[in-house]
Order: sequence, then structure tokens, then C-alpha cells
Amino acid sequence: MREIVTVQVGGFANFVGSHFWNFQDELLGLADDPESDPIFKNQRLNMDVLYRAGETQMGVATYTPRVVSVNFQGSLGSMSSSGTIYSEKISARSNISTWFGNVTTHASEPRKKNLFLESLYEEEQDKVRGRENDNMSESQDKDIVECLDKGVEYWTDFSKVHYHPQSLYELSGLWMDSQDFNNYGIGRDIFSEGSRGEELSERLRFFVEECDHIQGIQFLVDDSGGFSALAADFLENIADDYTNIPLLLYSVRSPSLHTNTRSSKRSISGKASKYLLLQDEKLYHSSAVYAAALHSSIIPFRMEPLSSALDSSEVSGAMDVNTLVQMLSGRDRQNIVAILDAAIPSPALSGKQSENTLVMDLQPLTPEVAEDVEDTRAIESMSLLGAIGSEGIEASISEAKDAVHASYEQNTSVRPLFCNVSVSRCPLPVPLPFPRIFGNLIGRKGEILGSPLSDSLPRGPLDVHSVPLATRLRSSSAILPFLERRMGNLQKYGIQWGAVGSDLVRTWGFGREELQEMRENLSKMVAELNPQLLESSDSD
Amino acid sequence: MSLRVLNPNAEVLNKSAALHMNINAAKGLQDVLKTNLGPKGTIKMLVGGAGDIKLTKDGNTLLKEMQIQNPTAIMIARTAVAQDDISGDGTTSTVIFIGELMKQSERYIDEGMHPRVLVDGFEIAKRATLQFLEKFKTSAIMGNEPDKEILKMVARTTLRTKLYESLADQLTDIVVNSVLCIRKPEEPIDLFMVEIMHMRHKFDVDTRLVEGLVLDHGSRHPDMKRRAENCYILTCNVSLEYEKSEINAGFFYSNAEQREAMVAAERRSVDERVKKIIEMKNKVCAGTDNNFVVINQKGIDPPSLDLLAREGIIALRRAKRRNMERLVLACGGEAVNSVDDLTPDCLGWAGLVYEHVLGEEKYTFVEHVKNPHSCTILIKGPNDHTIAQIKDAVRDGLRSVKNTLEDECVVLGAGAFEVAARQYLINEVKKTVQGRAQLGVEAFADALLVVPKTLAENAGLDTQDVIIALKSEHDKGNVVGLNLVNGEAVDPQFAGIFDNYSVKRQLINSGPVIASQLLLVDEVIRAGRNMRKPT
Repeated sequence: MREIVTVQVGGFANFVGSHFWNFQDELLGLADDPESDPIFKNQRLNMDVLYRAGETQMGVATYTPRVVSVNFQGSLGSMSSSGTIYSEKISARSNISTWFGNVTTHASEPRKKNLFLESLYEEEQDKVRGRENDNMSESQDKDIVECLDKGVEYWTDFSKVHYHPQSLYELSGLWMDSQDFNNYGIGRDIFSEGSRGEELSERLRFFVEECDHIQGIQFLVDDSGGFSALAADFLENIADDYTNIPLLLYSVRSPSLHTNTRSSKRSISGKASKYLLLQDEKLYHSSAVYAAALHSSIIPFRMEPLSSALDSSEVSGAMDVNTLVQMLSGRDRQNIVAILDAAIPSPALSGKQSENTLVMDLQPLTPEVAEDVEDTRAIESMSLLGAIGSEGIEASISEAKDAVHASYEQNTSVRPLFCNVSVSRCPLPVPLPFPRIFGNLIGRKGEILGSPLSDSLPRGPLDVHSVPLATRLRSSSAILPFLERRMGNLQKYGIQWGAVGSDLVRTWGFGREELQEMRENLSKMVAELNPQLLESSDSD
Repeated sequence: MSLRVLNPNAEVLNKSAALHMNINAAKGLQDVLKTNLGPKGTIKMLVGGAGDIKLTKDGNTLLKEMQIQNPTAIMIARTAVAQDDISGDGTTSTVIFIGELMKQSERYIDEGMHPRVLVDGFEIAKRATLQFLEKFKTSAIMGNEPDKEILKMVARTTLRTKLYESLADQLTDIVVNSVLCIRKPEEPIDLFMVEIMHMRHKFDVDTRLVEGLVLDHGSRHPDMKRRAENCYILTCNVSLEYEKSEINAGFFYSNAEQREAMVAAERRSVDERVKKIIEMKNKVCAGTDNNFVVINQKGIDPPSLDLLAREGIIALRRAKRRNMERLVLACGGEAVNSVDDLTPDCLGWAGLVYEHVLGEEKYTFVEHVKNPHSCTILIKGPNDHTIAQIKDAVRDGLRSVKNTLEDECVVLGAGAFEVAARQYLINEVKKTVQGRAQLGVEAFADALLVVPKTLAENAGLDTQDVIIALKSEHDKGNVVGLNLVNGEAVDPQFAGIFDNYSVKRQLINSGPVIASQLLLVDEVIRAGRNMRKPT
């Protein structure tokens, strides 16, 4: 078994993470539920890759995500940072055994649980009392969906997962609002200050030590703001401590970022899919899309058995993190930036070439990516989850694989040098706290309908129960605009004589030489992808 | 003014309003923290929005838990936390001292005095107080060695402000002995070599000093011994897990056999390393009933664990980086990065290694070591709150002992220094100062009294009576502090109440600096937030 440890750093990263763990929790639930679709029961996806088994001091068995989440103080809403299952319930007064003097209490206003969390809590209480509560009425679910749609403030508001007490780390003693924690400079010393770095490394080590044979670390981080600086230090630390463990870094950009308006205009709405109705400003919405793509892209790491030689009827195309990393970055081009594309939901696969739109439907989630690029040396890894065949029924593994190849045959211009295809017949389950973002062309199983349904409202978890997904990680020259822009900005705002940002970056701790080294690195990355462009890029 | 031109939205407070904002903020923060001070202070229970409870009597912890918004208060809080970072204690004192300086200044400013004059007085008083401190301090050296009794008294003074008396007294010995254990002649003391480990188990009084090391993980193989005596310890940083080397990790094997061969080759090189360890074990343990323990910073995968377990070797993986250093200091030997040239000299020794399991948590004890230079304070307690408080207290205790060893001197506590310094400033220094800066000296002198005053207040004593009593004793030439039980004067030397010299020094240095900055503020311009809002 090859474990993965997840790290989530930053506000939006935790939103994405919350959705991601909700999917896992839903999959776990469906696998146990006698009434669920057999496809979920026989998913052949190993949850132990992401989850750890443990027990509380009372001897109660637990199964929790192997995750370290770094949060701003107060961003956990009504969730306790020590998680829920390991906490001891003793009255606080009797707890003070170390001091015989006076006690004063300072209580913050209790955060109210929203309707969703309230219902989770009740459900659990009923389970404890051994009472089966079947009157979880449709109307209550409707209210919950409504309530989440209206007001999600913290990522914990829509989380249905139990976390281990080592998982949730709050940054205390910063004395600022989370809105003010918005630039690299502010976060610069946060990791090393006090004992934070040490504590974080300890928490990560707790999860890594348990792993018999860790295959990789996936690291989600907000791509700007104070958390990026913290994450940079954390990553450096990880690289020192775990030299040979491959790391997948997902840099996510919150759509509500004000400081960086120009580049964040390129938001994911309309890009993700023409079938989704996203309200951009809602983190709750956009993070769900990222989470779905993330879930899909790491599916190959969880397939049983983990060997590409043996394919079952449920899954195919397993590989480990190292293989993926080597494949995307280490073949004939050293490119460490991959593009993540997603089709949510993925279109029906068709044997007929003319109707096969799969490749065309994949939309980049990575910003500033060139479209319609012919790159004959591109390397791709495609994941298909729960693909639906032409007759509206689940496609078999071989059908799905054939469809991918057919799709490339048809669109030879975008055909990569090599494409690994991983297929799982298990679609993405849509849990109750998933946002209402589906358009009225999406059916109950995520199939795309020929004609719109009558209700024009966005459809949510009550109407759509599962969704087929396709995602693709590609190492392609389509990333060039992204890299070039970074390089251009670095030159323009940081390195040039009298650049407006030169003082700022100096306060961030980057000397001129370091900036030049950074540009050097970027230009190497650019050159790797497009050697001809090297000379002409100066005119940018 | 220029800023207002740049940003018409900026909100500008004029001088007097700005000054009072600063003074009020300082007083506000003082109010929150002052009940913490001293052995009769109040413990704070903080209930968060999600209902989680934190208990603390430590100013530093309290500040970090507070969500402070006011910029002045944040500035004071940062100074106080920095004080803790530098000298390990004195957070609460810093906050109340700055607050008191502001409070004293307010009186004079309201009478129309210019802050500049006060600030000049502060500067004079600060320098005089620091000079006085040099005369006032007590040596902590007996012959050539540090006076262990004084070390204990300093530690006890600190611990008693955080924990109830008998527990504090119990921890005093633990703290002092652990610092003496890691101390090496002619080298700075590295407190990280004292590991602080906790177990949610039993009672606070079961906290103890382990001469050796406690690791927070165990072996990961069911057949490995849970207890072993007479152990060789191999401390290493060597990967014992199969990993694809970068060159070979291609995706394109031409056939399954080739792939298998590749995997087998890679596996073999890991096995080689394991075998080298086993060879070493056989070399040193053969024919004896000695045991062999491997503590590795890198991973050890199940096949490697199997091989080791079959040979009766106990193996721990992914040890903390710092434990590599601690292990060598505790057990001897050296930490190796490769198993290629292992010699018996690389190995450490421990009389006893055993595992303790609590739920999903495992602990490995490495004890009965010869001549250790690293040790572990094992904190026990029935719940997380108890553990957290003992931990805070132990940290402060360790720092106080370290400070004493480095300062080679201590300062009489229980408010004795503050009263003595105040009398010195008023009776001697003030006369030498020209003009109104005298009042600054006076304000500073009175602000010093906040320490004994607060101690008295927290003990439920009448502050006026107490201060008068202390002053008159000092005027008679008796250096006394405050007995918090009956409110009478007490000789701190006799009562064994000592504070750290460096903490006091730092406090006297930084307090007036911040207070002066806050007093000299002309305008407060609140612009930041508005500027960031999208327009």
C-alpha cells in the first residue's frame, strides 16, 4: 500500500480540501450503504491511500484523513481545532488541577452551527443512542442545500468529515484580520517565528511516520497572499526532511482575491464547463470544481492493485505519484509545471467519431494557458471517472479507453506524444453539501441531456447524484504564456532599473541576485519548452 | 499631511486624540494581563467560538490567543512577545510596565506637560535604573561553580507563578537537573537538548525527568521486542525503503520481465543496506544477550522491518531530526548517514529500551544511559489542559535556569528590586536632573512600583498599605519584598525569591522605548484598510 499525505495551506486551499474530503467521505459512505449503486460498492479504489486508521484513548476505532491543514486563527468557524472524535468531554471547571488560585473566564461569542452541521450532529447523536432516524425528510435536505447556498463563511460550514486532532493547525498570535494577511511579505517570517515551523513539521511527521511506504505528498496552497510565503518555507523544510518523496504542488487561486485583480479576472467560470453555473465570487462554488478535478487527477494513485500490468474490470491505468512526476517532468523535457484540465461532467463517449467531443470539452483550470497549441512533444495523463457510454449506461473500461484514443485520432492537431489513460468506473458522487452549480442540461447521473429540463434553477446535490468526470494533467508548451508572463512581470516590476516593485521585493527578502536567479530559472523553463522563442522573448 | 494629500480617504486623528488612543490601548492591555502576575494571579479560561477551551496563566500564551485589533495594543504585544523570545519570561511584566508608564504620563500630560519632556526623563531614569541593577544584582556563583541552591530558587520562583506550590516544587528539581545535564563547559546552553514529551496519562505529579530519551513513536513491526536490555543504539539517516531511483523510473518497460528485473535490482540495494546493519549487529552482539536498536531518520519499509525483526533488531523510523542529535548526546556513538563504513564506535549504548502504548500513541523510552548530555522531561497529566500548563511552566523554568547560568547573577524578587530602584531614582537621581525632566524620572520611578502593586492587588491586599510599608523599610536600609500571604515585608533572599537578571534588564530597556514612541506620536492616520478596498 502506498500512502499519500495531504497538506492544505491557506484559505482557499482549505475550501478545496474540504470539498475533496467530502467526496472521499461520500465514497466511504456509499461503499457501506446496502442501497447504493453497485458501482460504488465495488469501486476498487483504496481509501487507505488517503485515510489512516487509528483509535482514541477510549479505544474507539477511527478513520480519518491523512491531512495537515494550516488555517488562519478563527477560520475554523464552529469546528474545534482538535477535531471532533478525539475530544474529551469533561466540564472545564474540574479541569483546572494545576492552579488553586482564582479563575476568570473569557468567552467569545459561540459560533452557531448552521443547519447542515446541526443535522450532522443530530444524526450522530441518534446513532449513539441507537436510534435509527429515517425521517430525514426531503424538505430538510432542501433547506440544508438552500442554507449552504446562501451562506458559507468558513470551509468547515460544509464539511462532513471528522478530522484527527493533529490535522487542523491554526496560526495564532498574528494579530491581524485574514483580509490583511494578503501579501508575501506579511507571511514571510510566519513559519519560522516562535515554534510554528517546528510544530507544523511535527504534525506532518506524525502522518508520514505511520506510512509504511509513502508514495507522495500532495500540497495545496493559495498562490498568493501571506500563506504563499509560509508554504514556501514549509516546502523547503519538506524537501530537506523527505528528500526522496515526490511532491505534487497544487497552487490554487481564490476568485475573490482583490489585491491581484488583474490576473484573477481570468476566473474559472465559463471556462470550467458550459454546463455549470458558477457564481464566481463564492469560494464555496469555485472550490468545488477544483476539488472535483483534484479528486479525479489522483485516482490512478489509489487503484487496486497498484500495478499497471493488471487491470480489473473496474479500474485501469494505475500508477504511483513518482511515475506520474517522472512522466510529466522527467522525460525528454524538464518541465515542472503541468496544466490541469477538466470536463465536469464529461460528455458521453461515443463510438462514432463525429460525436466524440471529449478532448474538446476539456477546459484548462490553469489560467493563462494558450489554446489550440500544437505540441507534438506533449505528455499527458488522463483520468476518466464513471464515463457514460453512448446509450446512457456506464461505459466499460475498454470502451472508455477506446473513446479517448478515438478522440485523439479525430483531433490529431492536439494529439500528444504520449498519453497515459487511467479509467475508473466509479463516478464522482455528489454529496449533500456540494453546491448547486449544475445547469439544467445535467441529468440525475450527470449525463448531458438533449434538451433542457423545465426548471431553470441551478441543479444541486438533490437533483444530481453523481457526475462522470474527465481530467487531464499535461506537460505542454501551452503553459508558455503563463511562464512568460511571470518572467515578464518579474523583469518589469522587480529587476529593471527603477522598477516599481523593487523596493517591495527587497522588503520581502529577495535581493537583486535572487531575483535574477529566479528569472534565470523561469527562462530556463521557458527555453525547455520552446527553444526558438528564447531570442524573441526579450521584446515582450 | 502629505499622506492626506495622497489619500483623501485616510482618517486622521489629531495629536491629543492620538495620544489618548495610545494611552487607552496600553491601559486596556494592561488591565487584561495584570491579573496574571505572580503566584497569586488568576488563571484565565478562554472559550473559543467553537467551544474549545484553553487555560493559561502565561502572558505570552494569552497574548497569542487574543485577537488584538488596536494597532497600539499590537505594538505593545509584539514587544512583550519579543521579550519572551529573547529572555524566556517577562511578557506580563512588560505589558503592565508599558501600561503603567503610559498611565503615569497621562497625569502629567493632562496637566499640560509636553510628552517630549517626559520622554527625556524616561531616558535618564532608564539609564540610571540599569546602572542601579548592576549594583543590586546578586551573584549566583559559588567558587567556580554555579550555586545550585540559587538555581533552584530562581526556577521555583518562576514555576510557582504558573503551577500550584507543591507541583512547582516538584518540577523545580526536574528543571534544574535537566539543564545541568545538558550543560557543557565553555559552550552555550542549547535548551533544545532537553526534550519535552507529554503523555495523556495518570496525574500531573507523575511528571518526571528521564535521563535518556523518550521518542513519540514505536517500532512498526509486530514481532519486534517491546522491551530490551543492554542495547546498542545505531542512530542513522539512511533510507531503508525501496524507492525508484530517478534514472530508472521510466514508464516504458518493453516487457513485464524487464520491469520485474528492475524492481528486483532496486529492492536488492535496499536489502544490502539492511544486511550491513545486521552484520554489525552480529558483530557486536554475537554470543552475548545484548540487543540492537536502530533509530532512523528516514523511512523503513515493511520488507526491511521484516529482515530486521527476524534478527531480533528493534527499528524505529522517521525519528525527529533533532532526536538524531539528542540520541548521540544521550547514548554516545555518532549519527551516520551511510551504512557503508559502520564501526562499533558509531554505536551508542542504553541499558533499557522499552515501548509504552496509549491508544494509537506509542512511546519509546531509551533509558539507563551512561553519562547523558541530553534528557527528556516527561510531562504527564489527565487531560490536555493540565499538560499544556505544565509545558508552559517547564519552558519558563528551563529558561530561567539557563538565564541564571549565563547571567551568573540574579535579582531579588517579590518587588524588592522595583521598590529599591524607585527609592534610588527619587532620592538620588531626581536631584541631579535639571528642570522638568525630573517629572519624567518621577513618572518612571512610580511606574516601577506597578510590579509590587499588582502582586499585592492580586493577593487581595491593600496596595496603599503595602507600598507604604515597603517604602519605609527601604528607607531604613532594609531591602525587602512583599510577603503575599500576610502583606508584610519579607527578605526575598531568605524566602528564596529570585528573578532573572537578563529578564529585568530587557524589561527596563524595552518598556520605556515603546512608551516613548507611543507618547511622541503626532498623528494617527488610518489609511491601510481603505486603500486596500477595491474602489
